[in-house]
Amino acid sequence: MAGREKLLDPTGFDDRATDSTLAPRPASLRGLTIGMLDNTKPNAVLLLQEIAGELQRRCGAGEAILYTKDYFGTPVKEDLLKQVVDECDVVITAVGDCGSCSAATVADGILLERLGVPAVSIVSDSFLVSGAAMAKVQGFPGFEFLAARHPVASLDEDEIRDRMQALMPEVLRVLGVES
Amino acid sequence: MADAVLDGALEKFRELMATDGYELTYSVAGEDRVVVEIVAGADACADCLVPLPIMESIMSDALAPTPYTLDHVVMPAEH
Repeated sequence: MAGREKLLDPTGFDDRATDSTLAPRPASLRGLTIGMLDNTKPNAVLLLQEIAGELQRRCGAGEAILYTKDYFGTPVKEDLLKQVVDECDVVITAVGDCGSCSAATVADGILLERLGVPAVSIVSDSFLVSGAAMAKVQGFPGFEFLAARHPVASLDEDEIRDRMQALMPEVLRVLGVES
Repeated sequence: MADAVLDGALEKFRELMATDGYELTYSVAGEDRVVVEIVAGADACADCLVPLPIMESIMSDALAPTPYTLDHVVMPAEH
C-alpha cells in the first residue's frame, strides 16, 4: 500500500518563506566553489559552464560543480537543495526560458539566499514578468535576478558565449564582487 | 472603453503567454471585476505554464493601473 505522499507546491512557498534578506556576500570569489544548478532546459548547462569558466578566469574561483534538477517547472527539491548548500559557496541557476521554469529559477535563487548561499538566477528577458511574480509570491519582491536576451534555447556555442559576456557584469554585481 | 483599457493593460501578457503557446482572453464580470482565461493552443507547452498563484499575481499586477481588479483566473483543464 502506498504511503502518504507530500504534495509538491509549485510555488515552493511554505511557512519559512518570509525572509527577504540576501545571503552575506563573499569578499572575493578566489578559491570558492561555484554551484551550477541546471534546470534541464536546452543550453542551460552550456550557459552555466561559460559563466563558471569566466568566474574562474576573472576571479580565481575554484571548482565548479554541476547539479541537475529533475523537473524545470518547480523549485529545486529539498534534498538537492541541501546538497548544493552543503557543497557550494555561490550558485548560478539557469535558465528560465518559459513561464514555469522562469518562475522556478527565481524561486531556486530565493531558496538558496535564504539558506545563506549567494545566488544568481538567470531567465530570458521574455519571462521577466514570471520571475518577478514568483519573487513577489515568495515574499521577496525585491529579489534581483538576471535577464538574458531571448531566446537562449536555440543558440549555438558562440551565441551562448555572447550571452555570457553580456551577463557577466551583472553576475559579478549580484555576487557582490569585482572582477 | 473597457476593452481598450483592458486590452492595453494585458497586451504584453498576451505576448508572454503566446511565447509558450497559450492564448489569454478575458471577460468583465459586474462593474469592475475581470475574469482572465488562459487557453492552450495546439502547440502549447504543457509544462511551461506558471502555476495558478503566480498567474494570479501576474494578472493582479497587470490590472493594478486600471480601474479593474482580478476576479479569478481560469487555467487550462490540465492545470
